[in-house]
Amino acid sequence: MTKEKKLSITIDNRTVEVRPHLTILEAARTHNIYIPSLCAMEHLPSYGACRLCVVEVDGLRGFPTSCTTPVEDGMVIRTDTGEIRTLRQEVLKLLLSEHPASCLFCTEQDECKDYQGTIRKAGVITGCRYCPNDTRCELQQVTERIGLTETSYPVYYRNFPVEKNDPFYDRDYNLCILCGRCVRVCNSVRLNGTLSFKQRGKITTVGPAFDRTHLEAGCEFCGACVTVCPTGALSTKTSKWYGKPDKEVATTCVYCPVGCTLKLQVRKSEVLDVLPDYNSALDHGFICVKGRFAVPEYVHSSFRIPVPQRITPLGYNDISWDEAIAEAAERLAGVKPDSFLMMVSPQLTNEDLFVAQQFARQIIGSDQIGSPLLYDLGADTGPFVNLVSQSSAFDVIDDAEAVLAIGFDSTYDYAPIGIGTKKAAQRGAVLVTINSCDTNLDMLSEMAFTCGTEKWSALVGLLTGASAQGAAPLFPTWKKDIAGIQGIFKKSTRKVIIAGPGLLAAPQRTEIIEKLLKVKEKGGWDIIVAHPYSNLKGMLAMGAFHGIKTGAIINENGQAEGVKGDLSKFDLTKGCTVIYAVGVSDLDSLPDCDYLIYQNALPSESQRRPDLLLPAALFTESSGTVINGEGRILPVNKAVEPYRSAKPDWWILNAIGERIKKGVMKYAQVQSVQKEIAKTIKGFPGVKKRLEFSRIDVKMKTPKGAPKMRKQGQFNYRGIPLEAVVKGMKAIEERIELISGSNRGAI
Amino acid sequence: MYKETILKKFEPRLDNILYILHELQDNNEQHYVSKEDLKLCADYLSVPYSFVHGVATFYTMFSLTPRGRNIIRLCDSPPCHLMGSGSLLDYLKNKLKIDVGETTKDGVFTLELTSCLGVCGVAPALMMNNATIGKLTPEKVDAILEERRKSL
Repeated sequence: MTKEKKLSITIDNRTVEVRPHLTILEAARTHNIYIPSLCAMEHLPSYGACRLCVVEVDGLRGFPTSCTTPVEDGMVIRTDTGEIRTLRQEVLKLLLSEHPASCLFCTEQDECKDYQGTIRKAGVITGCRYCPNDTRCELQQVTERIGLTETSYPVYYRNFPVEKNDPFYDRDYNLCILCGRCVRVCNSVRLNGTLSFKQRGKITTVGPAFDRTHLEAGCEFCGACVTVCPTGALSTKTSKWYGKPDKEVATTCVYCPVGCTLKLQVRKSEVLDVLPDYNSALDHGFICVKGRFAVPEYVHSSFRIPVPQRITPLGYNDISWDEAIAEAAERLAGVKPDSFLMMVSPQLTNEDLFVAQQFARQIIGSDQIGSPLLYDLGADTGPFVNLVSQSSAFDVIDDAEAVLAIGFDSTYDYAPIGIGTKKAAQRGAVLVTINSCDTNLDMLSEMAFTCGTEKWSALVGLLTGASAQGAAPLFPTWKKDIAGIQGIFKKSTRKVIIAGPGLLAAPQRTEIIEKLLKVKEKGGWDIIVAHPYSNLKGMLAMGAFHGIKTGAIINENGQAEGVKGDLSKFDLTKGCTVIYAVGVSDLDSLPDCDYLIYQNALPSESQRRPDLLLPAALFTESSGTVINGEGRILPVNKAVEPYRSAKPDWWILNAIGERIKKGVMKYAQVQSVQKEIAKTIKGFPGVKKRLEFSRIDVKMKTPKGAPKMRKQGQFNYRGIPLEAVVKGMKAIEERIELISGSNRGAI
Repeated sequence: MYKETILKKFEPRLDNILYILHELQDNNEQHYVSKEDLKLCADYLSVPYSFVHGVATFYTMFSLTPRGRNIIRLCDSPPCHLMGSGSLLDYLKNKLKIDVGETTKDGVFTLELTSCLGVCGVAPALMMNNATIGKLTPEKVDAILEERRKSL
């Protein structure tokens, strides 16, 4: 690659070297020269709305805006002359003539800061009710920087009603300065197109077409608009008025297998808000509604189990950890390996999963480790985990020529994959979707096949060439379309299939999965699996799965040997002496037992009452790692202390295990667990590249009392539906129901 | 359906959006672009619905509400204003018993204001549909209205 020639420019008498193709504003920012601006932002296209970034350039007429003027070699720029300062003050005054400015010029401004943090503060002390008090008001900072202390224009209050009908965030367009950041982020970054300017002149606002709510207009509630808003016009419902966060902790989202980076905004012992990380190489800050808005309400739910509890005829009694551990150990000691069952959630961290399987295998001596996905998938578990273990890296989408999305919709989850697909389609890749209802990718697709799930298998076979042409009569109306797409797919070399959660609801899911694996092998397709079992790869790698040893599935040297699993003797219906459920809350599906230990953060919604409740810490309260859908090890970092007496899952398992059989585990901290894991997975958890997974061949037979297809909410964490604890998710679930009936990924 | 014929006349490129919207509006009996029209246009051009709505609400020549058979656009720019368009507006409002932006009950006239029509030499002026008429007086306005009613 030839090195681009640097340009030499003079800013404020400093001669600096800059890369070409920058704007003056970007060039100044790279050299720490401050130019005020309210509309320009990294990652967003230039717009030139706020006019605050005006500068003087020799040879250019007037005062060009630095955010829209590209640098040229030898340019002489002045950013801070007297004339410019006056001009900026005047521009800012005009901006503020439509923005309630009391908080900017209020004489009690300094005192007000001392009162921040109480909800009633604003109204009581200053009579001001505007600011969401999250100290992210860029308008305030710019006003201070420009040094404006009064305004000579009367303020025109536009008197728009405050819009509070939608979940998660409120909109007060009286505070809006029409910088267009939200419109640009919605259209050019998220490629969603919900927002646009409406009307003109003084009645201009931002919003969807007509007076539809954001929910109706197809808003993803990704919160990108709230993140970029430089004023208080858009504010998060749950975190406004809480004040300034003390610290920011970067962690990994465990709600789905993408594993986006979340920047938790922490104050004291509370996660107030979550912001995306636009510099993350994995997700580019494209987090979805779950990561953006569904974390604080879940982890600080008032329903959390505070202390260990034991069942008595009169209800649950609080007990100490010592008593709880002693009781669990007593019940578990001497239990027959055959009559023990451990159920673990695939949303636990690797460390938790590792200790869980060690507990079952080395303490109890049993290989009875199951997971709720066995109930969801039944006899199809084997092919499914095989598909997951052979899935590709997410970035194969970036240079794909053809994408086939099956049962996939990225409105409310898997946002980075969805946006990657949309970008691919915009740059010219052929996108074809198969779903039972309209999806958010249809608009950009070459062809959207909307048909019942029972036809998917035939359709997938036809399109990818996995099966003979014989099934064509099934689709008389699409004959031409199918032929056309077959032709395109045949010619393309970089092809990607996205298998969405809808696939798991198709009756012939095994057949489809087999077809996918076949075309991966023979047809050169890459496969990305978007499924709801976040750390499933970690679960397989840690061996927290019946019949699979720790680390066995990691294919370090690229030998495609394959791993043999065996679920044919695993019986999920047989009664047990003790069942230990870690992060699993569908207790009604579990077999009968004498004693049930329930280790989770929130009480189960099932009818069945466990004998012992152990409060577990959540992903914001404990450290560890997860392995995402493409095989990357990602860190989960502790942001706050666990709620009341809750403890990390590995700690609880370790304590009980130590009580039963001394000297097997002895983990004092999470690092010692990681050291133990590193014995089988070299370099864990510091492995930088993707872990390669072997093929996995699980021997299966249809389990006795074949598990029923479960119908529950779309989004769960540790078995608890998000809508049960996060208010706004309920509105979203209802929306999905309305659009798709029960079709979209109904498991 | 006539709407599809209109769409087909233009290539599905974004720079045709104004032509399409104009054509849709002109061919609508009530001289407006309906929600369905916006949706059709958005789908045809593969742009978000909200974008087309933003364009249609930005330009005053588009109406999103049904209008009468005849659209009166009275100029309210300074020269016309100086020559008495203010009192003409009051006269029109009283005569038609509607406010600016409204349509008469019988659906014959819609009253709107417009910026300069470029005929300041004959101010005050108005546009009756596509015809520009200058040197207005209340009597002349009466005659114009009468003429339009007769031609129904």
